[in-house]
Amino acid sequence: MAGIYVHIPFCKSKCSYCDFASFPDKLCYAESYMACVYREMAKRKDELKGYEFDTLYIGGGTPSVIDEKYVAMLLASARKNFKLSENAEITIEVNPGTVSAGKIALYKKCGVNRFSVGLQAAQDNLLADLGRIHNLKDFLSCAKLLKGENFSADVMFGLKNQTAADLEKTIEIAAEAGASHISAYALTPEDGTPVYTDYLNGELPDGDEVAALYEAGLKKLRALGYERYEVSNFCKKGRQSRHNLNYWDRGEYIGFGVSASSHINNVRFTNTFDLDEYFKCILSDNFAVVDSEKIDEEGREEEYIMLRLRTAAGIDLAKFKSLFGADFKAKYSAQMKKLSGSLDADEKTVKIKDEYLFVQNSVIVEFFD
Amino acid sequence: MDKNNIRNFCIIAHIDHGKSTLADRLMEKTGQVSSRDMENQLLDSMDIERERGITIKLTPVRMFYTAKDGKEYVFNLIDTPGHVDFTYEVSRSLAACEGAILIVDASQGVEAQTLANVYLAIENNLEIVPVINKIDLPSARPDEVKREVEDVIGLDASFAPLVSAKEGIGIEDVLEAVVNYFPAPDGDENSPLKALIFDSYYDNYKGVILFVRIKDGAVRVGDKIKTFRSDKVYDVVEVGVFSPNLAPKDGLYAGEVGYIAASIKSILDVAVGDTVINAESPAAEPLPGYKKVQSVVFCGIYPLDGSRFNDLKEAILKLQLNDASLIFEPDTSVALGFGFRCGFLGLLHMEIIQERIEREFGLEIITTAPSVSYKVVKTDGEVIFVDNPSHLPPPSDIEHMEEPIVHADIFSPPDYLGQIMDLCREKRGTFLQMTYLDKSRVRLEYDLPLNEIIFDFFDSIKSRTRGYASFDYELKGYERSKLVKLDILLNGEACDALSMIVHEDSAYSRGRTLCENLKDAIPRQLFEVPVQAAIGGKIIARETVKAVRKDVLAKCYGGDITRKKKLLEKQKEGKKRMRSIGSVEVPSEVFMQILKTNKD
Repeated sequence: MAGIYVHIPFCKSKCSYCDFASFPDKLCYAESYMACVYREMAKRKDELKGYEFDTLYIGGGTPSVIDEKYVAMLLASARKNFKLSENAEITIEVNPGTVSAGKIALYKKCGVNRFSVGLQAAQDNLLADLGRIHNLKDFLSCAKLLKGENFSADVMFGLKNQTAADLEKTIEIAAEAGASHISAYALTPEDGTPVYTDYLNGELPDGDEVAALYEAGLKKLRALGYERYEVSNFCKKGRQSRHNLNYWDRGEYIGFGVSASSHINNVRFTNTFDLDEYFKCILSDNFAVVDSEKIDEEGREEEYIMLRLRTAAGIDLAKFKSLFGADFKAKYSAQMKKLSGSLDADEKTVKIKDEYLFVQNSVIVEFFD
Repeated sequence: MDKNNIRNFCIIAHIDHGKSTLADRLMEKTGQVSSRDMENQLLDSMDIERERGITIKLTPVRMFYTAKDGKEYVFNLIDTPGHVDFTYEVSRSLAACEGAILIVDASQGVEAQTLANVYLAIENNLEIVPVINKIDLPSARPDEVKREVEDVIGLDASFAPLVSAKEGIGIEDVLEAVVNYFPAPDGDENSPLKALIFDSYYDNYKGVILFVRIKDGAVRVGDKIKTFRSDKVYDVVEVGVFSPNLAPKDGLYAGEVGYIAASIKSILDVAVGDTVINAESPAAEPLPGYKKVQSVVFCGIYPLDGSRFNDLKEAILKLQLNDASLIFEPDTSVALGFGFRCGFLGLLHMEIIQERIEREFGLEIITTAPSVSYKVVKTDGEVIFVDNPSHLPPPSDIEHMEEPIVHADIFSPPDYLGQIMDLCREKRGTFLQMTYLDKSRVRLEYDLPLNEIIFDFFDSIKSRTRGYASFDYELKGYERSKLVKLDILLNGEACDALSMIVHEDSAYSRGRTLCENLKDAIPRQLFEVPVQAAIGGKIIARETVKAVRKDVLAKCYGGDITRKKKLLEKQKEGKKRMRSIGSVEVPSEVFMQILKTNKD
């Protein structure tokens, strides 16, 4: 299994928590940018000849902010250069404030079969605080357009002035609107963003309060029939994000566009975050990779443990053995003993206990050298 | 050199009253060091000394001075450490002299420490010349301070030179006073050799260098010598004087101050205060005043990184080469692994050693709470001394315990008397007496248990009196006391490195404060951690470190994987610096919490 990721670094305005590569004032470069992405794909064609791609994910930024014809051309370009499975999962992130019936129709027509909608919160005051360009009404209209589609809603918790009731209400609204999948992320105040200032001023809920919100959200999600398959990801039966599952399986993926990361043949590499530099590299017929790291055997194992323990399924012992040639339980017997209170182990799997998934770092680091 | 033209003297002063500056001026004035070449405060040669403005190591210096009477004199200035921890070293240095310059700060007057050292000088029959320093300061009040010297110390201060060492004022008067008021050394060059060891250090090439004052007789290259209290015999390889670097001579004679090198391998074989005698014609009696140096404060020292035990061992051995008062033995702690139990002359000595290990040897260390040595009388009549709380016998085997008591002198403006007396009461002090020195200064005398002052007494007294009070103490003896061992339990398991011996009356408050401090210092774990203080199995205080509830990296997608892994690796590094006590992981700072007696 392998995935393709395409990064669209444009948006209408920057959200107060966002530290991704996204440039609200550079939308006018969208056409040139997309041309470069197509070109970057063509340059990877030979190298990835042997791969069959099972997922394609268009993320951002706000991919729905650019003209939908570029998305159509993007998918055409992907198909032209790479082997895309017949039943590939093709996802696009959309902002509820930027969609129209025509846009959705074209996305579907060219093969998009999964949508990720940035709801974040169902309270307009919270949305305004986050600097989101949409309100609840926009989300509801967007959901109407996506009726019957496989769509996911992103929600956030740990926001300034957010109550557990707010979070529960948000989840209810997403469920009622028909989301088959909900991602619930704790707000992470990154240095340099406006919410970091809130954090420095003590205006954000502390760790215990965030944990309480998470527990309330988890309870609500389960009550509504969403199962947790990763610490932040919940879905109706069979509706996992295949693209993300691949990440947590240490799968291979190729990224295109500014800041996109890739993992091919045990090398992890990342494109430049600088839009001008990206243009320069691609137009001079080069790649735009700025960071590249070959992952050694030990690093692979640590990554695998770190990623698998994020998931509810945990580590498949047989798969671990086939990948690393070792018996997990025997190799990590000291950790297994020390962490017996927080791990669930049986013949086939080792996973973090349900109630410890939100403190997983303390568990995971025990497996690091 | 005619003995009559030698003057051996030292300088006594309170910290900051200008001892090193005056010494520098004397050397400069006698042409010993040109002011241009002079690194400020030449005598304090260690970095730590210069930074702290204190003298730890004694470095004697020899000067030539042509006095107003036209004769040339040899001055041997023996510097003394300015801190209570080194009282014995001070007393041996004083014993090598005939005179002492007493520096008193013209604005601050007589301080507790000055007084303690003056008494030492008087005990050693030294002639004392008071010098009023810092007369250039606007706040100088030389006449009052002179009166204080007369009233408090009972010295005639009418002839005291008025000096500003910093500005170079009055230095000549000091030099003349040395000639005129200090007696020339006595002693008989033809008697058997008797030389007082007042200091020593280890030189990589020459072995131990003994700093000596020849009281009787002479010592020459080639002589066979020994010390009075050891049987080992050594051949003298080199003798000489301090200029201030070592300057070899053929011999040293009665009345002189100099050094002896005799290929002595260990500083432990030649104790300060012992008497060097000639091995072939030994003197019958040693010089008086020898004392075996006793450690007063003890603590455990462990490498932060357990695998660096051997590096720590090497560091301590190297420090001991030059510091016979540093004693140590290997020790193990359940919580901290392999390390050393070390004994020190006092708190400052302990801090200096800890700092030197970290600074000069690049080792990170964990130190346990300082302790004193308790006298334990067991039910079977056996008497033992215990300085490590984990070595205390079970309560049922103890008939009674005694703790060391000090006699403390505190000098302060009267405004702060209330605060000082409160503090001394809190610290179980016994009031002895109070004397008004003048309307602005009072002397308070207390008996205090040593274990109460080794924690934060000095800081407390300074902060309660805005730095105006001065404090000094000397060991008085042992007194019977109700002492108990206070244990700390983390998640139900006793942590030996956090145990301490405290007085029964303060056990409860100490236990509670410690639990509160530990609760804040121990990071939250996957499970709830009870922090308990206990005496003999009975819990007297409890706090709880709540379980961690959020420890997760929210989003972890394609591009994040490398970055997230780095964050986790960083978290792991932090964990590596921790120690496991049972199932609880604690950072090394936790072991210092025990030093804090207040919650802050």
